[in-house]
Parts: sequence; structure tokens; C-alpha cells
Amino acid sequence: MGERSLLNQLIDALRCLPGVGPKSARRIAFYLLERDRDGGAQLARVMAEAMVAIRRCTRCRTLTEHDLCALCANPQRDAALLCIVEQPSEVVALEQATDYRGQYFVLGGRLSPLDGIGPDELGLNMLETRLRDEAITEIILAISPTVEGRATAQLITERAARYGIRVTRIAQGVPLGGELEYLDSGTLALAFAGRRDVV
Amino acid sequence: MPTSAPLFLAFVLKRSEYSNTSLLLELFGDTSGRIAAIARGARRPHQHTSALLQPFQPLWLACRGRGAIQTLTTIEEVSPPLALHGPALLAGFYLNELLMRLLARHDPHPALFVFYQATLAQLAATPELETPLRHFECHLLAELGYGLTLERVVDDGAPIQPTQVYTYVCDCGPCYPSERRHGPLVSGATLLALAQSAPLDATQRREARTLLRMVLEPYLGGRPLHSRELYRHWFAAHHLHES
Ligand SMILES: [Zn+2]
Repeated sequence: MGERSLLNQLIDALRCLPGVGPKSARRIAFYLLERDRDGGAQLARVMAEAMVAIRRCTRCRTLTEHDLCALCANPQRDAALLCIVEQPSEVVALEQATDYRGQYFVLGGRLSPLDGIGPDELGLNMLETRLRDEAITEIILAISPTVEGRATAQLITERAARYGIRVTRIAQGVPLGGELEYLDSGTLALAFAGRRDVV
Repeated sequence: MPTSAPLFLAFVLKRSEYSNTSLLLELFGDTSGRIAAIARGARRPHQHTSALLQPFQPLWLACRGRGAIQTLTTIEEVSPPLALHGPALLAGFYLNELLMRLLARHDPHPALFVFYQATLAQLAATPELETPLRHFECHLLAELGYGLTLERVVDDGAPIQPTQVYTYVCDCGPCYPSERRHGPLVSGATLLALAQSAPLDATQRREARTLLRMVLEPYLGGRPLHSRELYRHWFAAHHLHES
């Protein structure tokens, strides 16, 4: 076998994209080469720049090319509210779906003792510094209701308690459009415990 | 889904994401022992299996495939998940990490499975977590053929006396203390309580912890247990650590 052609290298490289298998990678490569070279070149430029320049916000750990992300730098955001999420993509989802006006903190994952992901990996010391130094009155946990997510929430709740900060978490239970019959009993029990008045 | 594969009881020890929509699971089953399996499509939206395929949730499962990694064909819950909270949850992770480290794949341990299930139930029910953890460690070691000698003195085969203190020599057992012997000092009462899975008082818990830490060490391959670190971290934060 000789040296691999540039075309094959491009197809292989495209496979790092989520959901892209060998077939789609080939399709994308041919599309860009035959129909949209400008788009491909632009993608390559932005990609190269983004991979180097985008880091974590020094305050909330979300992704940004600045020291402080736009949300942290915005003085209009309510400094008393801190919403804790697992991934930067969830900050974007919450910003689009809700009228939340507080601040964020991005863990970058959840506690996973068997994988060696502990408090240090999740930036809990950085979080604790904020709890100590800032005028935060409420923490809103937006963490997946998995077992690892629950352990993460407990660790954070315990730290917040040291500073007398109230902790709430987003409601959990029946998904919109979900049928009760198909719910597991854990989800059903949570939904039942979190019942509300019908208004 | 029609399947001829038999159902077996199992717990998830560890789960990780696999491809875009699936889960890769390390399972501990009553008849299968520790196995790896993939739950295809479990992470698709509106798939309820993802909520079920979690640690500490008793499950009925069926698999197909013969390779190193099987595919789950049936997933049903046996009963609600065990209610582990706070330190008990970390203790549960500790059990899972021990099983991941010490059990070989495809090596059935039905008795250990029953003991694992009972230990989880105890962790969920009692605030004193150390006693069930120590008893589990003893059972695990015994199942793997590395059981501790707890009822006889190595030197002369005499029965262990509760009021005596012995030196527990690693890979050997309880010996009469002397300057030539190296190992932790353990009271006869602690050894007998471990042998009988009986309750341990505060002093006995401390002795048992030191003893089992030493005995487990060689089987952990020199790597620390992450969940043990986390567990200690938690207790340090709560000022509950017994010294
Ligand atoms: Zn920020």
C-alpha cells in the first residue's frame, strides 16, 4: 500500500464528527470538493482557529475565546442566582428555552467514581470559591437525574450548605408526551413526589 | 421482542455512552457473573431503558451474542432502585468498583450476587455503613478463593479467643504477636465478628478497616480505588471520619 491519498485522509478526518460513519463521510467530502469548495475552506479556517482559541471561561467554565464569557461579562445578569449544568451545550439550551437571568457554572461532566471523575475534575473547588466570595443566594441544579447525577448534586448541596445557600433543582418526572404506562418506577416515583396543585 | 435467551437477574456496575445512541454496560448477573453488554438505542429520546439501566437498579435482562460484548435483548425492572443517598451512594459505588476490579468476566458467582444485593439493601437501611462494607469485602475475598483465616490461630490451630489480640500476617492469617511478625494487630473479637458477619463496634470497625485494606491491596493491582478516595473526601467534609 502506497501513501494514502488526500481524498482518503479527508474522508477519514470527517469521521470524527458525531453521527458520521464512512458512508456519510464520503458523501460530505465529495459534496464539498465538487459543489462548495469555498464553504469547505471557510469551515477549515474557522475550525482551525476555534480548536486553538476556544477555552473555558475562567468564572463559569463554559466555552469561550475570551477570559470571561459573554454571560459572565454581562452586568445585567442576576448575580444572586447560579445555575449549575453538566455541559456548555446545556447553557445554550437553557438560554433559549427559559427566561432565566442568573449566572451559570459548567461542571464539564458528572461525578463518576469508577472512571476517576471526582470533585477536582468537575471544578468543585472553583465553584466553592464562588460560593464563598460572591453574593449567591440560590443554586439551581440542572443535572441529569442519573445515579451519577444524583451523587454530583449531593456533593454540591453539601458544599452549598457550608455557606448557607439555598439549593433547588429543576423538576423531574414524566416527559412531555410520555405515557405513564411506559415509565420506570423510579421516574414515576419522582414525578409523584413532585406533584403540584392544578391551577 | 421475541427471544429464546433466558432472563437473568442483574445490576449495572458501570455505564458509559457508546456511539450516538447506545450504552455500554458492565453488568453483574446472578448466573452470568460480570459481563459487558451494549444496550442499542438506549439513549434515543423517549427511550425509558436509559432510566432503568443504572447502578443499584435490580433488573431482569436477556442478552444475545457470544463475543466479549453481548447485546441486550430484554430489559425489565425487578423492583424500584435501592434508595442510596449521600455516603451510602458513595459506598455503593465502592462496592461496584471492587467488583469491577476483582471479578473476571464470565465467571459466575451466584452466592456473591445474593450477598451484593443484601449489602446494597443494608447500605440503604442503616446509617452505619462500615460494617456492611467490611462483611462484603470478606465475602468477596472468600468467593475468589482468597478468604481470610478468621477462626483459627495459624501457629497451632487453636480457636481464636475474643479477648486475645493477634498479629494478622498477610497471606497467612492470625498469629500470636511476636517481634518477628509483621502485620496489623487485630482483636479476636473483631476476627470472630467478621467470620460470623456479626455487628462491629467502633474499635472493631477501625481494626477491620485496617485489616481488609491490607488484605485487599495485592489484588487491586497497585492502583487506588477512586470511590474510596471520594468516600474519604465526603467523610472528611462531614467531620464524621473515625480516627
Ligand atoms: Zn462564564
